[in-house]
Amino acid sequence: MSQAASRSIQALVARDYGQPPTVEWVELEPPGAGEVRVRLQAAGVCHSDWHAVTGRLPMPMPMVLGHEGSGVVDAVGAGVRGVAPGDRVVVTWVPSCGACYWCLNGSSELCAEANRGAVDGTGADGRTPLSWRGAPLHRFSWAGTLAAEAVVPEAAVVRIGGDLPWREAALLGCAVQTGVGAALRSPIRAGDTVAVLGLGGVGLNVVQGARIAGAARIIGADPVAWKGELALQMGATDLVGSGQDPLSAVLDLTDGRGVDVAFEAVGSVALMAAAFNVARRGGTAVMVGVPDPTEELSVNAFAFPSQEKTLTGSWLGGSHPARDIPRLEALWRAGLLQLAPLLSHDYALADAPQALQDLLAGRVARAVVTFPDR
Amino acid sequence: MPVFQDSAALYNILGGFFDTRVRFTEEAHLIHQVGGPILFVFEEPAAQICWVPVESGREAPFELALDGQGPSPLLTFRQSGDTAHRFWHGGLDLQQALARQQVRAQGPLSRAMKLLPHLDAIYPLYADYLQAVGRGDLVLPAHGGGR
Ligand SMILES: [Zn+2]
Ligand SMILES: [Zn+2]
Repeated sequence: MSQAASRSIQALVARDYGQPPTVEWVELEPPGAGEVRVRLQAAGVCHSDWHAVTGRLPMPMPMVLGHEGSGVVDAVGAGVRGVAPGDRVVVTWVPSCGACYWCLNGSSELCAEANRGAVDGTGADGRTPLSWRGAPLHRFSWAGTLAAEAVVPEAAVVRIGGDLPWREAALLGCAVQTGVGAALRSPIRAGDTVAVLGLGGVGLNVVQGARIAGAARIIGADPVAWKGELALQMGATDLVGSGQDPLSAVLDLTDGRGVDVAFEAVGSVALMAAAFNVARRGGTAVMVGVPDPTEELSVNAFAFPSQEKTLTGSWLGGSHPARDIPRLEALWRAGLLQLAPLLSHDYALADAPQALQDLLAGRVARAVVTFPDR
Repeated sequence: MPVFQDSAALYNILGGFFDTRVRFTEEAHLIHQVGGPILFVFEEPAAQICWVPVESGREAPFELALDGQGPSPLLTFRQSGDTAHRFWHGGLDLQQALARQQVRAQGPLSRAMKLLPHLDAIYPLYADYLQAVGRGDLVLPAHGGGR
């Protein structure tokens, strides 16, 4: 392959912890071996992007934010076989290696190499394809989709069909895989009662995942009223709103029994304990939200043996993108997976800082950056 | 048997390592980017060592305060003496150690990201130091990080 030059592109850059992200011109190298370059068409803004900015998710700075998106492959490096220029793809953030202990044991979302790269901010060759003001620029977990273009490992992209709109497709990168996946891989059985604590972009997807898994009753809890309304649209049957204690409200709704499966989708230690406590005897609580890595959770120890409770967690919904994104796409095509209601506000890349602010302020379910002139 | 039999042994060996080796590395200057004192609280044996940043121009970018004498820390890491011993050999993945509660952190962990990726240059100094002070018996055999 000819050694093409770097390109200057615009990207949403977090320069240091606690500093407001800004849109900057950065340099992007052409794809190396095993890498592909994607021209983004849409990119979702996730709470995790904000957690990277504040340092709650410790990752190296400076970095290009964004870890879900959709776009067109416009160049591939040596050895790339699964995609070709012109392909429509979803970009996701756990490019598994296929060879480590976790990949070989069916948990590619925990891939050691993908995790290493997320924490170090570097690719398989120890470097990053991005630079800014002459210094290396990292990217959010191999992705960096809040940018005009991204160079990512082949395993970070999955091909999609021509009928799936860009904005909807972008959500498959993180929010939908994480939320729906958590529900589909939980012990929910047809007819179950489920509680979902926290109805943000991920929680709303847990709600529809629970519906797809056959839950008969889905109790959504969030103090923000419009999020509750959206949850009803996604399949929630009951709501717990502001001013209500989630634990006592859910117990009241279930004759004191509690729910078969409870989900926490915020990353709040108090809500995590509440999720464990609303699970019935023999029930399961699934932690989906991401707390600060220094935080600790306190629950009643006696409840494990005496109530046979299960406390478990879910990362990227336990998804394997190459397997699950086509399945999610099929569910969408069948009318079972709703994507459009999650999309309320579009932003140009130049307004990406505002998109983050609107997400934080609880004004949008999922803010999406689009590139309308493409 | 813990590696450090008592607090005096920990101050002497680990404190000595920080004092005579770590403080004079190029990487030590990154403490200014961390932005505040880093306190290590040890159990078994009980001890406290604080890295206190000092203004530039001094010989080393931080000084040590022992036994709770330092200012209030920005970051605190609690661990057993044995865990610390392993950590400074480079034999502990901090992400895993936090998840397993071998190390408990308080404060803005992201600040430590300024320093952590650069510790690879410091780890080899620890075994060297143990040899140099006649405690080669404490050097651990090389092992994987166990991600
Ligand atoms: Zn996300
Ligand atoms: Zn792997």
